[in-house]
Amino acid sequence: MRLAGAELLESREILPGQWLQTFHAPELVTGARAGQFVHVRTGDFSGMVLRRPFSYNTIDPATGTLSIHFRTVGRGTEWFTRLRPGDRVDMLGPLGRPFEMDSRTQHVLLVAGGLGIAGVRSLADEAIRDGRQVTLLFGGASAREVYPSSLLPDEVEYVVATDDGSVGHHGFVTELIPEYEGWADQAFACGPLPMLKVLASLAHSRRGRLGVANLGRKRGGGRPIPAGSPQARRKAFLQVSMEQNMGCAVGACLGCVVMNTAGTPQRVCREGPVFASDELDWEGGW
Amino acid sequence: MKAKRRVVTSANGERPGLAKRRPTVRRIKPAIAPVSRHVPDAAAPSRAPASSGSRPSLGHACAAPTTSASNSTVDLSVDLGRGLRLENPILVASGTFGYGTEYSDVVEIQRLGAICCKGTTLRPRIGNPTPRVTETPGGMLNSIGLQNPGVDAVIAKYAETWAGWRVPVIVNVAGESVADYVEVVRRLEGVPGIAGIELNISCPNVGAGGIQFAIDAGAAAGVTAAVRRATDLPLLVKLSPNVADVRPIARAIADAGADALTAINTLSGIAVAPSRQRPLLGNTYGGLSGPAIKPVALRIVYEVSQVVDIPVVAIGGVTELADVLDFLAVGAVAVQVGTAIFADPTLPVRLVEELGAECRRRGFASYAPLIGTALPKRASAPSSKGVEYRP
Ligand SMILES: Cc1cc2nc3c(=O)[nH]c(=O)nc-3n(C[C@H](O)[C@H](O)[C@H](O)COP(=O)(O)O)c2cc1C
Ligand code: FES
Repeated sequence: MRLAGAELLESREILPGQWLQTFHAPELVTGARAGQFVHVRTGDFSGMVLRRPFSYNTIDPATGTLSIHFRTVGRGTEWFTRLRPGDRVDMLGPLGRPFEMDSRTQHVLLVAGGLGIAGVRSLADEAIRDGRQVTLLFGGASAREVYPSSLLPDEVEYVVATDDGSVGHHGFVTELIPEYEGWADQAFACGPLPMLKVLASLAHSRRGRLGVANLGRKRGGGRPIPAGSPQARRKAFLQVSMEQNMGCAVGACLGCVVMNTAGTPQRVCREGPVFASDELDWEGGW
Repeated sequence: MKAKRRVVTSANGERPGLAKRRPTVRRIKPAIAPVSRHVPDAAAPSRAPASSGSRPSLGHACAAPTTSASNSTVDLSVDLGRGLRLENPILVASGTFGYGTEYSDVVEIQRLGAICCKGTTLRPRIGNPTPRVTETPGGMLNSIGLQNPGVDAVIAKYAETWAGWRVPVIVNVAGESVADYVEVVRRLEGVPGIAGIELNISCPNVGAGGIQFAIDAGAAAGVTAAVRRATDLPLLVKLSPNVADVRPIARAIADAGADALTAINTLSGIAVAPSRQRPLLGNTYGGLSGPAIKPVALRIVYEVSQVVDIPVVAIGGVTELADVLDFLAVGAVAVQVGTAIFADPTLPVRLVEELGAECRRRGFASYAPLIGTALPKRASAPSSKGVEYRP
């Protein structure tokens, strides 16, 4: 974790109300991995008092740049849209724990609901760099909100679902899962809570049906892997990136928790934002 | 109404009036090898005695400004009572700095005056439903619900680490009965690494119909006295702003044996969900903090400083040196930084430097001349009498 200045290189409204901003911030790019996030300061104390968390949308160590993708939903995100190339912001990162990929995984299924694309986008780059095949299932409200295919690596197979049927599958992105769950070795998802809940339950039932939920686990042998550890996540079929309102983003304020199946609050900023889907209590009222 | 206060900003100012209440001056932490910018230790020659009896005014409560002060080290140390001497008066507030370890990658924590850890209870608490935090104009609301692993786990997990630190750690203690508070404090007593206790009394007294200890002078004094009997650790008690008149409560707590007061805790508030169908926070109510509450905190410190003669530590909306100076001016001897840390983690350490620089710039050998300068000569009318209509 480092505190560093980041210089805005480029700011584009890629979809109505959705922005993609690229920053030069070598200190925050070094060692950063897909699934992690930065906590960015919004001006001084004259108005807003909290930073805003953004997933690393892309990470480019060669140029020392990172990008973030957000929708304008309030004063903080609006503040970011007023930044101009050359402006500097203060970023804290890399924060949280990244996605973990099993070394034997060949077929990677990414599932994104709306802005959730920002949470899994950089994993597509990582997986392709490592020679894996990637399919991205994207769900949006309508054609107007579909993430531009031109912003994805060529190697990604891109499948779209829209709520109103204006493009791609007419319905929820989760309805596409049955066609891919057999093919996929591992799945990684980010999006609205209802979508993640459906995916978690599909992943759970998949274990019953296909019996390979825990890819590569040796029957009976080996030491038990502690739940929540990177190893346990690496073996999980489905990993999800969670969202929660944040204060500190370093684990100090306990503002950002979700419950695990043992009933212990997990900090999204510290133990997360990536969790194995079977770690979390999806019925809990959090 | 008595209007008198005492300011102690140096290690060994004898405090005759309070000697009875301070029988033991324990060294909680072993002396740790001093580093460069070290303040004089307890054996160093005494500075000019702190004022006693009357409120301090500029140049009264400290050594006369010396010429050497402009280029030598300024004494920023402060004594909060019962041997709790801090190297500087900038603390980090409970609940905003975890257990001190979370921010250590980016903050030089050993340079802080002290760390107040997250509220600690007898048994583990999983806390409130989410959302737990939300930003508000100039501030934020939180309803963490005192999530913590319980006192035994806190000791097991952190005490050894804390014992190796130069920065003192003050454990913030919460409970829902007097017995709870007493038991937590008993378990903390004598544990190396624990420099003091800060009682969070903004908790419901379950045995007494769930009314907060902090809003009733009798209940506040009762829990303070019980804890006082249970421990020799320096005891700070944290005031709630959610009361009609804070002065009788502050006095009752001081009389019950608190070594210092800290003020303020958060103000009760709510936010509405974007759907407008329900309150936003999972727990409905939250505590407001940040720059938005600074005027309230200033008012409470101003009122409390005039009626107690134990040190007052200010908390509420500190974001820059000017805020520190304001709180000192209304009688605080130290300040805690809370919410501002989330945006600006290195702020507290910078404030230490800036306060030293401010003293040097003004030719002061310590920051004592900055304390109490805005307090009235005679006790002021309390805010409980109303603001618009003067009696
Ligand atoms: C997220 C959060 C958690 C807090 N938790 C505690 C706590 O456990 N115990 C306590 O006494 N005060 C707690 N507080 C109150 C702060 O210590 C402080 O009194 C208050 O935030 C006002 O200071 P500030 O405006 O500088 O934040 C908490 C505040 C925040 C923002
Ligand atoms: S945001 Fe503070 S603990 Fe996660």
